[in-house]
Amino acid sequence: MAIWQRDMQVLRRSIFSEMVAVIAYPLTIYLAFGIGMQGYIGLVDGAPYSLFIAPGLITMTAVNAAYNESVWSLWFHRRVQFTIESYRVTPISVSEIVIAKILSGFTHGLIKGCAVGLVIFAITPFRFPVENLFQYLLFLIPGSAFFSCAGIICGTVMDKPETIGKVEAVLVMPLIFMSGLFFPLSSYPPSVVTWVRALPTTALFEGARRALVAGEMQLLPVLQVSLSALLTFVAAVLIFRYKMSE
Amino acid sequence: MEYSDMPASIITRSLTKSYGELTALDSFDLEVEQGSIFGLLGPNGAGKTTLIRILTTLMRQSRGEALIEGLDTQGEGRDIRAMIGVVSQENSLDRYLTARENLELHARLHGMAKRLYKSRIDDLLELMGLAGRQKDFPDTFSGGMQRRLVVARALVHQPRVLFLDEPTTGLDPQSRRAVWDYIRSLAGSMTIFLTTHYLEEAEQLCDRIAIMDHGRLIAIGSTQELKDRLSGATVYEIDFTGQGADRYAALLGSMPCVLNIEQVDSKLLVTLECWECLSEIVTALNGAPVRRISLQERTLEDVFISLTGEKVRE
Repeated sequence: MAIWQRDMQVLRRSIFSEMVAVIAYPLTIYLAFGIGMQGYIGLVDGAPYSLFIAPGLITMTAVNAAYNESVWSLWFHRRVQFTIESYRVTPISVSEIVIAKILSGFTHGLIKGCAVGLVIFAITPFRFPVENLFQYLLFLIPGSAFFSCAGIICGTVMDKPETIGKVEAVLVMPLIFMSGLFFPLSSYPPSVVTWVRALPTTALFEGARRALVAGEMQLLPVLQVSLSALLTFVAAVLIFRYKMSE
Repeated sequence: MEYSDMPASIITRSLTKSYGELTALDSFDLEVEQGSIFGLLGPNGAGKTTLIRILTTLMRQSRGEALIEGLDTQGEGRDIRAMIGVVSQENSLDRYLTARENLELHARLHGMAKRLYKSRIDDLLELMGLAGRQKDFPDTFSGGMQRRLVVARALVHQPRVLFLDEPTTGLDPQSRRAVWDYIRSLAGSMTIFLTTHYLEEAEQLCDRIAIMDHGRLIAIGSTQELKDRLSGATVYEIDFTGQGADRYAALLGSMPCVLNIEQVDSKLLVTLECWECLSEIVTALNGAPVRRISLQERTLEDVFISLTGEKVRE
């Protein structure tokens, strides 16, 4: 808890600048694609394009924030500030350290996702029934946890910051962008759709959109995202413990 | 109680750490008395860091045993970490927290209640001369202030054993002496285990010093004991006026009790078999233009170099 409290203390101190940076990116995409392109695109899956991409942008902000907080925080504390070393000579275990960092990334994701959701809600015509939030959170919580754990793994095994940037460009962003955030999965060739659907990011973005817009309760995608989060959590703890024992 | 009767705070028995073919620590046996200041010296790569990492439970040994206050580093790591303070080579301060918040975080990691750590932190900040800067971030501190803050952090939870890994590296002489003064003030209240590259630091602070190389303990004792161990030979410096050194170098060099002679300008450095030979030298110098004859004290550095060699390590 002490490490999580420390991370929240630092977040509180820089909340304004953090929020400006976090909100600017999805909002720009929303304005450029959702508003700028909607006249050319028309309806997607029966919804205006701006409404089609809005849930995905909120989800993307949350999971991106969770990933980035975890990966950069862990790398910085491990390689630059050496604070992980100072935590390790106190009576807390290595597992407690990594769980605290996962929790911090997860919290960053939820807070920033909610902030972007509020801004989109306030300045765009995107609306959803409030009761759908429960179904949406069933995706957003394990989704943020999944990306936070993935960030912890990258921040643990990667020693160079440029490698972290490359993984984000080559793996994380394509996984998010190709999971139906900007287009329906029906756009893929039928032979590819099965593979794309097997990805936890697809289950997350597709499921989150349908939950928020239509209030659908989808057990299988929720389980898929939750199981992925659980597996990456176990992997993150084990990898961090192994790295610390080296 | 006699110093040697004190119970051991740190014990290692046949402590060994191997990385594949490389043995960083080789059957290392050590006992450090409770309440003493113990210095560990060794050239780069001697195994000092490996030893300190095992003792602070950051690393597991390959073989052997290490006990801190009677607790085994292998199975009782959490209990050991609750009673030790560690000042690592790197400052490892959190630059996003103020000086006070750095100490508060450390106290919370040790599970201390706020009412307990608040006054303790006040005292430590005052003692370290940082009370006026407690709301500032460590990035704005000088190197000496940062180091003092790291030492304060290691003391928040009142440890019984304090590990100081090169605590004054990179500090200016004033800051170094301030840290020394504080370490001296702690003497007796806790066991202090210090590694350093500054031999003067070890000489000034430590009750006992161990010298290690290639993962092995090669000498241990007080500074004086280590100096005494450095062969029986004694070196005298004879300072001549005029051309005396040139004239007497050959004469002294031919004497059987003189092991070595070296001329530096108007001075001769004469290494004798033993100090009893000095009378023969004085007799031989009868009438010579001698300004001064002085005994060259052995330094800890002489001991260190004689034991570990002059070759620069990678």
